[in-house]
Amino acid sequence: MRQAGTYSAILSGGVSGRTGPHSLPLARIKKIMKRSGDDVKMISGEAPIVFSKACELFIEELTQRAWMMTLQGKRRTLHKEDVAAAVMATDIFDFLVEMVSDSNGTQMAPATKSNISVAER
Amino acid sequence: MEPMDIVGKSKEDVSLPKATMFKIIKEMLPPDVRVARDAQDLLVECCVEFINLVSSESNEVCSREEKRTIAPEHVLKALEVLGFGEYVEEVYAAYEQHKLDTLDSPKGGKSSIEMTEEEALAEQQRMFAEARARMNNGMTLQKQSDSDHVLNS
Repeated sequence: MRQAGTYSAILSGGVSGRTGPHSLPLARIKKIMKRSGDDVKMISGEAPIVFSKACELFIEELTQRAWMMTLQGKRRTLHKEDVAAAVMATDIFDFLVEMVSDSNGTQMAPATKSNISVAER
Repeated sequence: MEPMDIVGKSKEDVSLPKATMFKIIKEMLPPDVRVARDAQDLLVECCVEFINLVSSESNEVCSREEKRTIAPEHVLKALEVLGFGEYVEEVYAAYEQHKLDTLDSPKGGKSSIEMTEEEALAEQQRMFAEARARMNNGMTLQKQSDSDHVLNS
């Protein structure tokens, strides 16, 4: 059931068992930034670097929280539903609610900042 | 690896490389844990959405400060405003580290670059000398000039 060592490692929030530098490609990040809105200003060369780290932290937090859902369900495979549950349970992930509920097939509140396609399953 | 990871040039879909993302994800989890494919994809999409959100806010922060270029400070401010203030410290540290790393080549004086050039030059001379020596061994002893080859008659 619960593996104390692993679980506490996640709870401590500082699992830095990095095997190497995994940086996200700056050019790709810049592209996404440019397409995030209609009148995006010029982007300094250093901004994508900051984003790269922020994204890493974001993914780590989302993964951690999703994993906690997996554990609650007593499973060893992290499923889409776990990610969705993590989003629902976390305030700052509110902007993802439409995205995860779209995947689940149910419509929720209309989008605010993001321009996602409204598709019904 | 899917073709989408490599190409990614379609105007419609700009995403993040799944391989890199997957590595980051896996490192957060115990080694025996599996991540379903659809969960992976969703995590990547969420990350892109995160960039969209923070970019929009950074853009607004930049406008409010009446600047024309989105700078790291704007992004940090945006993170705070959006509730990701916890990230700011680590993100800032990474940014500072990056600045230090890229400052490796000093401006004046004995820079590592100069020395490398000198060394490279010396190395080049040495290699020429070695090559000459090899040629001399292979052929009859002849005096070789520095520049052009002197063809044997």
